[in-house]
Amino acid sequence: MGDKQSHIFDTVKNYYNNYGLRAKELKGEGKQFIGYVCSLVPLEIITASGCTPFRVRGSVHEPITRGDTLLETIVCPYYRSVFDLSVKGKYNFLSGLVIPHGCDSMVRSFSAWSYGLPFSYFHFVNIPSVCDESSLEFFDAELDAFRKSLEKFTGKAITEEHLRQAIRVHNENRDKVRALYEMRKADPPLISGTELTMTLTAGSSLPIEESNGLFDQILTEVKGRGKSPLKKGPRIFIDGACLDNIELIKLVEELGGNVVADTICNGARDHFPKTEMGGDPISALSRRYLGKINCPKTYRENKAGTFEGDIASRFGDIGAYTKEYKVEGAILYVYKYCDPFGFEVPARKAYYQSLNIPLLPLEDVYSSGTIGQLRTRVQAFLEMIG
Amino acid sequence: MTKVVILNKGIIASIIGPTGPEQRRLANRVMEEALKQAALSIQEITFIVATGYGRINVPFADKQFTEITCHARGIVHLFPEARTIIDIGGQDVKGIKIDVSGKVIDFVMNDKCAAGSGRFIEVIADTLGVSLDTVGDLSLQSSHPATISNICTIYAQQEVAASLAEGVPLSDLLAGVHQSLADRICRMVNRLRVEQAVIVTGGGGKNRGLLQALSEQLGQEILVPEEPLITGALGAALMGKEIVEKARQNNTPLETKERILGAVEIL
Amino acid sequence: MAEEQKEAKPKKRMTATKAAASIGPMVKEFITGTLQAKAEGKYKVAYTFIVCHHEEIFRALDVIPVWTENFAGICGAKRDAERFLQRAESLGFSRSLCTYALCGIGFDQWREELGQMPPEAPWGGQVRPDFMISSGQILCDPRSKWYQASQQFMPDVPIYNIDLPYPLFQENRDHREVLGYYHQYIVKQLRGLVAFLEEQTKKKMDYDRLRELVNLSDRTWNLIDETYKLRRAAPCPMGTGDAMNTMVPINFMMATQKAYDFFVDLKKELEEKIARGEGEVENEKYRLMWGGGLPAWYALNDFNYFNSKGASFPVETTYRMVAPLNEMDLPETKDPIEHLAWRWLGYWTFWYDKAKKRPGSEPDVERLINWIEEYKIDGVVMHEAFSCRTWHVGLIWQLHQLAKIYKPIPVYMIGKGGQKEKVYRELPSLILESDIIDITSYSEVDTRNKIDAFVETLESIQSNRAT
Repeated sequence: MGDKQSHIFDTVKNYYNNYGLRAKELKGEGKQFIGYVCSLVPLEIITASGCTPFRVRGSVHEPITRGDTLLETIVCPYYRSVFDLSVKGKYNFLSGLVIPHGCDSMVRSFSAWSYGLPFSYFHFVNIPSVCDESSLEFFDAELDAFRKSLEKFTGKAITEEHLRQAIRVHNENRDKVRALYEMRKADPPLISGTELTMTLTAGSSLPIEESNGLFDQILTEVKGRGKSPLKKGPRIFIDGACLDNIELIKLVEELGGNVVADTICNGARDHFPKTEMGGDPISALSRRYLGKINCPKTYRENKAGTFEGDIASRFGDIGAYTKEYKVEGAILYVYKYCDPFGFEVPARKAYYQSLNIPLLPLEDVYSSGTIGQLRTRVQAFLEMIG
Repeated sequence: MTKVVILNKGIIASIIGPTGPEQRRLANRVMEEALKQAALSIQEITFIVATGYGRINVPFADKQFTEITCHARGIVHLFPEARTIIDIGGQDVKGIKIDVSGKVIDFVMNDKCAAGSGRFIEVIADTLGVSLDTVGDLSLQSSHPATISNICTIYAQQEVAASLAEGVPLSDLLAGVHQSLADRICRMVNRLRVEQAVIVTGGGGKNRGLLQALSEQLGQEILVPEEPLITGALGAALMGKEIVEKARQNNTPLETKERILGAVEIL
Repeated sequence: MAEEQKEAKPKKRMTATKAAASIGPMVKEFITGTLQAKAEGKYKVAYTFIVCHHEEIFRALDVIPVWTENFAGICGAKRDAERFLQRAESLGFSRSLCTYALCGIGFDQWREELGQMPPEAPWGGQVRPDFMISSGQILCDPRSKWYQASQQFMPDVPIYNIDLPYPLFQENRDHREVLGYYHQYIVKQLRGLVAFLEEQTKKKMDYDRLRELVNLSDRTWNLIDETYKLRRAAPCPMGTGDAMNTMVPINFMMATQKAYDFFVDLKKELEEKIARGEGEVENEKYRLMWGGGLPAWYALNDFNYFNSKGASFPVETTYRMVAPLNEMDLPETKDPIEHLAWRWLGYWTFWYDKAKKRPGSEPDVERLINWIEEYKIDGVVMHEAFSCRTWHVGLIWQLHQLAKIYKPIPVYMIGKGGQKEKVYRELPSLILESDIIDITSYSEVDTRNKIDAFVETLESIQSNRAT
């Protein structure tokens, strides 16, 4: 962050460092927070129920201890960390938790979560692994079952009007994130990657209206800036799964890179796709979450019949972002034991090659202990493309 | 190990310091020694570049580059035909791919795990009570290299100790250990699609047994610099020289630190 | 290194039953059969995965399945997977991913690069498919990623991915509330498969034939259940070591008369052994359950090691991918596709109702408890294979929960006031750690040390019980 920190970035930093602060305050006022992991949980339905969705996070600074007594260490390290913090009671202020079929680690550990944590509401949302007409139909029904389970929990009906209203505010939130990303297009960008990821992370712990308010204030602040908080450097793209902390991005920026765009869950993957307004809200949500969230977990048919055509369609969003944000180098950040992303590494490499964008693939274990190793790799990469 | 190279038109001093964490902290002593060899005072050095794991902690360095960039620079200076570099150090192993113009185009590094680095050989040599300088030649006497099935250094150490007790010849064990390490190095650098000329540098470049195993497994001829330990430092000095020349050409001031030889801060 | 490992071929494992011993040649014949079929070009050959309830559809359209997990397992059992794993690694895949898939992708890339089988390919190698049927399920991520990754090296080979979800167990929900739309979806997915295969084979589905095949595998399911239940006998006539052979007809040959006949023979053999009082182990001291995890294919001899300590394995949760249909209460239907979908759901929800009735239970835990009682089990052994999350995540928790809600062993302790008190303790359990086919993760010395210590525990419990 820049030398002169504004008041609003102090708030963001506070929410980021004391994650769940606001939720604990609001719980005192009678609000119910429902935790979720993964971008595939339809937040709008939680918001429409009158509860507040809250993204549970891991911590790279906290060694995994208690979690490992209940869950195998061959689970995705990010997910292990989230589980560890949860069983240590960090999220006991939540009223419930929703886990989707995001990957095997989530599916196979669902019982360990639902029997081991003191929440009164638990729900598993099954996400199809393909995206065709019948799977959308199925997903409609699955989301409807999710809606009903929340109705049972709160004792209140979730009407179409509630859903439409929730879709509207969540879409507004996505517009604001887009506007924040616009600020990255300047060279050097007006908002650093560290600031942006910290802001989005803080936002995922707040009621959606508050998150909207926060993003507005950040936007005003950044627009008013005369100059970038960063020195001009190679424009870097971050590709990968859930990055709910600033460590990697901070490292890149400390070493002279400018992080300008991403596909990460706590970034463009989560925040760019919008839900269609009008029509049946449940079916609009199923189309957004299954059709538009580009996660390797969902199998997309190779319609081109060639490898080049296949990767161009599967990873086309990356190509569009790299052009839009004038990317000069990309970092593919994948967790060890992540099958959905891991099996795409060679294909993604080939895709970046086709874009003529140098790529640094990193496999990491979600621990601040590896920062030293990452530092050498990232610095060498920046030296290579610089 | 701390290494220093001082460059003018050619190398005017090159020093390899002793090993150990305390020694690394005292990198300034190695620098002093190098200065003594070159008969220069620290004030007379135009520009200083630090590289390697301790690079950010050298208080008197004007700039830091990673060992990837520096090794590549040093090797290309010595072998302009180099396309693939394998640096086998005590702490880690790196593979670097170079294009025709000598530019780094890709690299891989192993995790900081002793099993994939020169440290593996050090630990085993220690277990077998053989000096590190002789392991390479000893292993070349083997006709039936032993199979080392454990990849973890600690387990491999136990395995080797057990085999030794069972009477497996020393040379066969060492040959097995070299093949095991060569195998892991190969798996990593193969991700780069190895091309000729292949240069091995770092401490591993001094071990003939390891080089032979590596050459066989890669199916490639391997070249080694005369003094493989200093190619990183040489590269750093070359990078420094370039910075100075560029600044002189453009008539821009050089940003340098105060010329005080302080001890290295270990974070 | 790979070569040395190949030389260190494991000794052939001793089987307890003749039926199990006949499996090796059967698999070999099966693999050569796929190569021959491809060479003759009469039938289409397709890569696919086990446990998809689609064998009947394949066979009704004369599509020859190539079970890619099977081939990787063979490479593992022959201790010849390493070179394919390394190839995948050098392509940029992490060794932490499913090693079956890595082995398969490494092999495929090599075969495609050479335009012929890689040198000394195990059992002649894995044939180039005409198409690939993958299946993202709520079961295994690599299933929808593996063929997609392989396609990079054979882009002309199309993939059809079917989705086969089932409702995950949720303590406070009756799964019947959602079965309807799950069933509809699976039916549509399977019909999509039929359409794809019809297009590829240029044949029309013969639904009468399909119905016959479904009926055949239904009968096989029930027969397998009856056969395996014979293993309740003491001494146990056949253990998990053998079941890792007899999994072949269950998982690779379903919907064939051969599979049915195999179990007719096995059942007869087991009945005869029981009549003679012949056990897997000569002097059966402990009855263990293989309670979770795929085996280390290169180390099946560990089962013989257990046997040598007097331990038998009357039951395993692994690869017993069938359940008695008469206990499932499946809706009647004349449509074989609809029946397949019901059977799929019936299998995966088989333990749900029972689990709901026992506080703190869960389907996987419930199955452990039921089988511990039915098979009179003294201890549970599991295997955690590092590269597979599908079958190996949740095992620790299951043992944890089992110990919490189920304590079958009576022990006497000196309680307050110096009185002897009867209390109950949980069954001992053991988790072995290595991998399905990555032999570098395995240490025979460590594994056998663990087994020795576990057997000592069983022994001390048994002697305590006697007093």
